[in-house]
Amino acid sequence: MSILQHNGAAIICMAGKNCVAIAADTRFGLQQQTVACDFEKVFKMSDRMFVGLAGLATDVQTLRNTLKFKLALYELREERVMKPEAFSALLSHMLYEKRFGPYFVEPVVCGLKDDGSPFLCGMDLIGAPVYTDDYVVSGTCTPNLNGMCESMWRPDMAPDELFETISQCLLASVDRDALSGWGAVVHVITPQGITSKSLKGRMD
Amino acid sequence: MASDASYSYSLTTFSRSGKLLQIEYALTAVGEGKTSIGIKAKNGVVLITDKKIQNKLVDVQQVKKLEKVSPSVGFVYSGVGPDYRVLVKKARKQAQAYFLQYRALKPVKALVQDTASVMQEYTQSGGVRPFGISLLVAGYDDEGPQLFQVDPSGAYYGWKASAIGKNFKNARSFLEKRYNDDVELDDAIHTALLTMREGFEGEMTEHTIEVGIVGEDRVFRVLTPAEVKDFLDEST
Amino acid sequence: MAQLRVAPGGEHVLPKEPPQTGGFDFGLAARNARLAAAAGATASMPEPMSTGTTICGVVYAGGVVLGADTRATGGSEVADKNCEKIHYLAPNIYCCGAGTAADTEKTTELIASQLELLRLGTGTQSRVVAATTLLKRTLFRYQGHVSAALVLGGVDCTGPSLYQIYPHGSTARLPYVTMGSGSLAAMSVFETRYADNLDEAAAIALVKDAIRAGIFNDLGSGSNVDVTIIRTGGEATVLRGYETPNDTRPLREAYVRPKALVPVKATAVLSTQVEVTDADAMEL
Repeated sequence: MSILQHNGAAIICMAGKNCVAIAADTRFGLQQQTVACDFEKVFKMSDRMFVGLAGLATDVQTLRNTLKFKLALYELREERVMKPEAFSALLSHMLYEKRFGPYFVEPVVCGLKDDGSPFLCGMDLIGAPVYTDDYVVSGTCTPNLNGMCESMWRPDMAPDELFETISQCLLASVDRDALSGWGAVVHVITPQGITSKSLKGRMD
Repeated sequence: MASDASYSYSLTTFSRSGKLLQIEYALTAVGEGKTSIGIKAKNGVVLITDKKIQNKLVDVQQVKKLEKVSPSVGFVYSGVGPDYRVLVKKARKQAQAYFLQYRALKPVKALVQDTASVMQEYTQSGGVRPFGISLLVAGYDDEGPQLFQVDPSGAYYGWKASAIGKNFKNARSFLEKRYNDDVELDDAIHTALLTMREGFEGEMTEHTIEVGIVGEDRVFRVLTPAEVKDFLDEST
Repeated sequence: MAQLRVAPGGEHVLPKEPPQTGGFDFGLAARNARLAAAAGATASMPEPMSTGTTICGVVYAGGVVLGADTRATGGSEVADKNCEKIHYLAPNIYCCGAGTAADTEKTTELIASQLELLRLGTGTQSRVVAATTLLKRTLFRYQGHVSAALVLGGVDCTGPSLYQIYPHGSTARLPYVTMGSGSLAAMSVFETRYADNLDEAAAIALVKDAIRAGIFNDLGSGSNVDVTIIRTGGEATVLRGYETPNDTRPLREAYVRPKALVPVKATAVLSTQVEVTDADAMEL
């Protein structure tokens, strides 16, 4: 089993019309043993941006702390909020710096750009970016997640429809993955604000 | 800053009256340098500098005082030429490092702050002297067009219009009378040329001045002698 | 009066350079090795994303044409259906990358930056050999561990040129080049149809068909054909998605999916940006 699979995770970012959503399961496991079902793996980075970190839990938390630190310094230094484009470049740069001793984390970034349109980006553990305009996934069941999103995603979804779609994609995917699930959270970002919902999932 | 172990002393030390004489001397060196002028317009910034050379044998085409630092930022100086190159080189590197990290152009103010920090460091370190130059920085970013001045002390200011080097006081009071907030870039170029002409010794031609602009396209560029000539012809 | 002292050896002390910020950070390497050892032989280290890839280039009468597919893979899973493999190095130089996705991306970004600094310093156009040399030296320094296989094309004052660069740092200058897992498929097209001094349309068609050969015959390559043309004189045309023979979106959109309701446990509004519409209300 790869070290990326040790704790289990499933994360999706999905674009709608002038909105984006990010969904993640809440399981924290040690291989086959479930330890907690309220583990945080998506983090709010600004009023218009989230980052999702799937992988080794210790690295998830270290990276989250480092990112918050760098973001706070940037905002003090430049007196502005970091754009999601710059944030994902920064994260990619941080990961590639550790090219030969990486964090075991595969991040996804989603947010709204200045014009209100969605921004999505995923990357591998050494920071190779993947920019898409529909969805990105990460975690221990990416084949499931990719398959669900591939068939469920539609262009120009409104926030409510986007929520339904991303939630169905996540719940269906984690039901076929032993390492992720046990509840989920979904955040929908619109220019007006962020709505967060926690989902009921199978507890087996 | 040098470590304690190196037993070094800064040459820039307070005098009994609380002045940092080395910095004042550096400003004197700047005041002796050729005049440079910057004007911020509504839709861009212009930098202009005197590059008159006394000796006829010097190849004026090899004399470059305006330097592009990043795609949207340009520098010009008054004072000690070789000192300028050190700062330009460092600023270019900082701009590239920022771009590699954020995939975005370094904001003008950040570039000014970093350059000013370098200049400040040279007022408090052992074995070095302050930079003998003042800088004018022109740039255009999300905050719009911007003009900054950086002094040998490391102090920096944002200006609507400013002048440094020889005759800077006269030039500044001339600019004060001429400046208005709604000026377009083309008019600002003419105002800059007019201000330069006020204190200019000898003939002002496309070969004795250098002009750089950054407009709404956010691309800083140095005008060709032919373009400068066109502006000069228009203003006479 | 206090005795004035200079630094040991009498040399001047310049302000210290800021701590080295470039280069790789091996801080986690020891921990990762320990984790791998603890996991034993059954464990596998995670694989970075790779661009299985078909990339190629050809010199023609009026410049250089570069081509690439757009599939990125993680193992046998398609990680990105439409990634960009033709990287910018300079206005007159572009570079196709195959191998580990992060390595091709970051190495070309680094060299693009070095070239820009060089241009600012010299005030001249970048040369293709200069780009090649910077790249091969960087790759050689890492002894193949930075796994980038590149096809570099450009035009400068010496005319058009095309180089292939291997991950270990060896290079070759050739009239037509293919790299990546689909290089054999692409090369078969070049070997049957290449001719000296092709015109632009023929060169683009040749590159397109070579990439298509990779897309349809190599599992590591797929999706679309990207083409970049750099003409003598230095101006480049980037044709992203020049051909999209595998677009499935219209088919997907035709399917009407059933509605279902998600079981929600709790809803919270994390943050709402308040718009002040009535300024008077604020004065209370």
